[in-house]
Amino acid sequence: MSEFIQETEMAQEALLEASMVERPEKNQPLGPMFWICVGWLALNIIGAIFANVLPVQNPLNQDYNFINSGPSLHHIFGTDDLGRDIFARIVYGSRVSIAVGAGSMLIGFGIGAPLGMLAAYRRGRFDTFVTTVMYVFLAFPAIIAVIAVLSFWTPRSMFKIIVVIGFASVPLVYRVIRTATLAIATKDYVIAAKVQGATDRRILMKELLPNIAPIGISFLLIGVATVVTLEGALAFLGLSVNPPTPSWGNMINESRTILAENPWLVLFPSLALCLFLLCLNFIGDRVRSHFDVTEVKL
Amino acid sequence: MNPDKLLVVKDLATTFNTSAGPLPAVGGVSFDLNKNETLGIVGESGSGKTVLARTIMGLQPRTNVAVTGSVLLNGHEMVGVSEAEKRKYWGTEVAMVFQDPMTSLNPVMRIGKQIDETLRVRLGMSKDAAKARAIELLELVGIPSPTQRYGAFPGQLSGGMRQRVVIATALACSPKLLMADEPTTGLDVTIQAQILNLLEDLKEQFHMSVVLITHDLGVVATRTSRIVVMYAGRVVEIGTTREVFTNHRMPYTRALLESSPKVSNPSHTRLVTIPGRPPNLLKLSLGCSFAPRCAYATNQCHQQRPELQSAEEPGHSFACWNPLPSKREAATR
Amino acid sequence: MLKYVIRRLVMLIGIIFVISVGSFYLIHLLPGDPAAVILGTGDSPSNRAKLYKLLGLNKSIFDQYFIWIRNVVRGNLGISFISQTSVASTIRAALPIDLEIMGLSQIVAFAVAIPLAMRSARKPDGLVDRLLGATSFTLLSIPPFIIIVLLVLFISIKMGVPNIGVASYVSFGTDWIVNLESLALPAFTLAIGSFVVYYRVLRSDMIATLQEEFITMARSKGISQRRIMWRHAFRPSSVALLGAAGVNIGGLLAGGFVVQYLLAIPGLGYTLIAAINDSDYLLVQGIVLVVSVGVVLINFFFDFVINIVDPRISRE
Repeated sequence: MSEFIQETEMAQEALLEASMVERPEKNQPLGPMFWICVGWLALNIIGAIFANVLPVQNPLNQDYNFINSGPSLHHIFGTDDLGRDIFARIVYGSRVSIAVGAGSMLIGFGIGAPLGMLAAYRRGRFDTFVTTVMYVFLAFPAIIAVIAVLSFWTPRSMFKIIVVIGFASVPLVYRVIRTATLAIATKDYVIAAKVQGATDRRILMKELLPNIAPIGISFLLIGVATVVTLEGALAFLGLSVNPPTPSWGNMINESRTILAENPWLVLFPSLALCLFLLCLNFIGDRVRSHFDVTEVKL
Repeated sequence: MNPDKLLVVKDLATTFNTSAGPLPAVGGVSFDLNKNETLGIVGESGSGKTVLARTIMGLQPRTNVAVTGSVLLNGHEMVGVSEAEKRKYWGTEVAMVFQDPMTSLNPVMRIGKQIDETLRVRLGMSKDAAKARAIELLELVGIPSPTQRYGAFPGQLSGGMRQRVVIATALACSPKLLMADEPTTGLDVTIQAQILNLLEDLKEQFHMSVVLITHDLGVVATRTSRIVVMYAGRVVEIGTTREVFTNHRMPYTRALLESSPKVSNPSHTRLVTIPGRPPNLLKLSLGCSFAPRCAYATNQCHQQRPELQSAEEPGHSFACWNPLPSKREAATR
Repeated sequence: MLKYVIRRLVMLIGIIFVISVGSFYLIHLLPGDPAAVILGTGDSPSNRAKLYKLLGLNKSIFDQYFIWIRNVVRGNLGISFISQTSVASTIRAALPIDLEIMGLSQIVAFAVAIPLAMRSARKPDGLVDRLLGATSFTLLSIPPFIIIVLLVLFISIKMGVPNIGVASYVSFGTDWIVNLESLALPAFTLAIGSFVVYYRVLRSDMIATLQEEFITMARSKGISQRRIMWRHAFRPSSVALLGAAGVNIGGLLAGGFVVQYLLAIPGLGYTLIAAINDSDYLLVQGIVLVVSVGVVLINFFFDFVINIVDPRISRE
């Protein structure tokens, strides 16, 4: 048979092939929802950074005229049982969530990602050794370790929280990045680059990194979401930042004792936290599906 | 309705609704099939032959597909009817043998069970009766030690064996029509002949008609009575095998025949190729789809799509404004 | 197959060994002197020295470890300094609660997730699918502790349903109705998180499976859609589901304790937190060991089941 006949238009072939099978999922464009979420996150971040200069009340200020009050002109979201403005505490509280989320992921990825990529690429003794160590750590329930360490390492500070969670996340980041790199490093085009004499550094930068980036970013965002949730859980155990520093977790925890009297103290921080997490998850998910080139356009 | 005609296809067209626009994978195909006949459908990759086969059977995807025209299977209409309607005939009147036996068998289900299933669900056989019949079928398709193999997983069999299992499954309910979509393309050359011979034998035994879809002209040359040549989703020539091979009129058919390497050629003979590439179905021109690559194309060819017209011998038609001269005419002069 | 099982068993033992070392040293790495806690007001250097000798804390770390391990293997996890009760019995009392909560939550999660996922996979991007997708995504973003707090707010406080709220636990033997009521909230909360994971994983995997050629072939045999979904598509897809279940359930054992703590349900999680707060390091050690081993065993079990469902894995 003519060699030529094999050589059909790739796109048409793929399209035809794909069209014989039901593929209802389209390759996701980022979409307006994506940008809305980005906007909301940006708003939170700006609020956290510039809280001092924004027209927001002092979160520690106790206004005795308004104890456990609902939303009003003076206090948009109401006040807690010490008369502190909930809205202000939410804005300042975002600092904790964002700092903890970003900080720990920075540590986790800063250590875990390069190690993972290197191990997957080099293989050999380095890989075997590091991976075994990491997998041993992974077998250990990290949350318990975090709780134990934070309970005993007093006095608590945000710095310590970030460090503990950060290091606890290294094995997981390592595993995810290493798995992703392995999948790509064995692909033909990387081997081709190697054969052509590209230096390791070049391969890492030009071939591996761009392909790992989407998974990495997606996982990073989901990681931040997980850590922020973790901070909330820790607050419930009394292991987050010390009062009176506001954090979303703290506020929800404090609200438990006065649930009946002041539902606002639980509702607004919960809303803030959930929206934040929703946006993070959404962006992470969209990034992943947007760059997933295995999904075919139909 | 002519009772001898097992299959009557009229103006069948399949269009996919893609994100890049409508894709007319099959456009206006008509032909019919008699009982106990083997019809070959030939074309390159992308010519629409697989889509055609699936559409005839009614197996096209359920979403984003539009099918027009008519397919009469033993008098039953298959186009525009519900899935439940079509399902009545699947397996019992028409069955399909797929190209790649590795992907067409369920990898986590034992092969015996995959054959049993048809017998029990469609024919209402009991478990034991179905198992017995399944083993019979395995023997029929030439699988050694069928009783032992009954419990094997597809992954434990060789490619040729798997394809035999697929055939056994297809034949389980004794359909009258077997659609074989490139049944040997994925197999070793040595196995190909075995499988094709097997299909021929079974066709006789079961009194079936077979539609053999392939890009390999060598396969259709000796095993089919009639051939349909497809290009860019349309039928460009149809006739008896002999007629198509020896007296083809459409230049594409000639190009196809010439480009297949012949063992009898001296070594290092250059392969003949067709210049250009198959058209992008998303942007079909108004004229003949083959015109850009055709050595004989005229202005009319580029501007107007040719319809099928009859040649001398009854049953032979081709679609071309500037056909090759008929050998019959030359012979009678 | 046998080779595979043996190989995994060896790995299992190795991991458990490492975990035991880990749990032992973790506690000892932490600041805080158990003797000081126990002696309380009677603390003095000489008293401490006496207590050390009594408790065997004056031996080297290695000796302490081996003594401990030897006892563990015999089922003796030690006597807690703080509560003066055997660690093993404390754990034995608390563990069934965790298991019950987990069991209930998983039954609910699977029972809801599987049919819904199949429905969505059959008609992807349909109305039901999109609705479920948005709902599950939203639920994903609501942490369990918030769900619990909100549910307690509405059900227990606003609606006044009894036996749902804090500290309402009663064992199954005593009063099984109240028992189920008291565990309904934590089980339901955990079920939500599990449901979301299972739904998404199964849906995504089934959509991929339904595109395989063997599904078209099954169709061509005249098999009904329902049969294809359950008999052909579900089995290969269940591999991914089981994998997710293994990871999820392992996580539940370790992480479900926030929920317990909030509702003062005396499961392992609650006991662990209390133990940490009391610096009851022997109890902490015991719980950490039990939980870690539990997680590893769960993973091992699921690996095994996956292998039965899809034999291709052990053949590789």
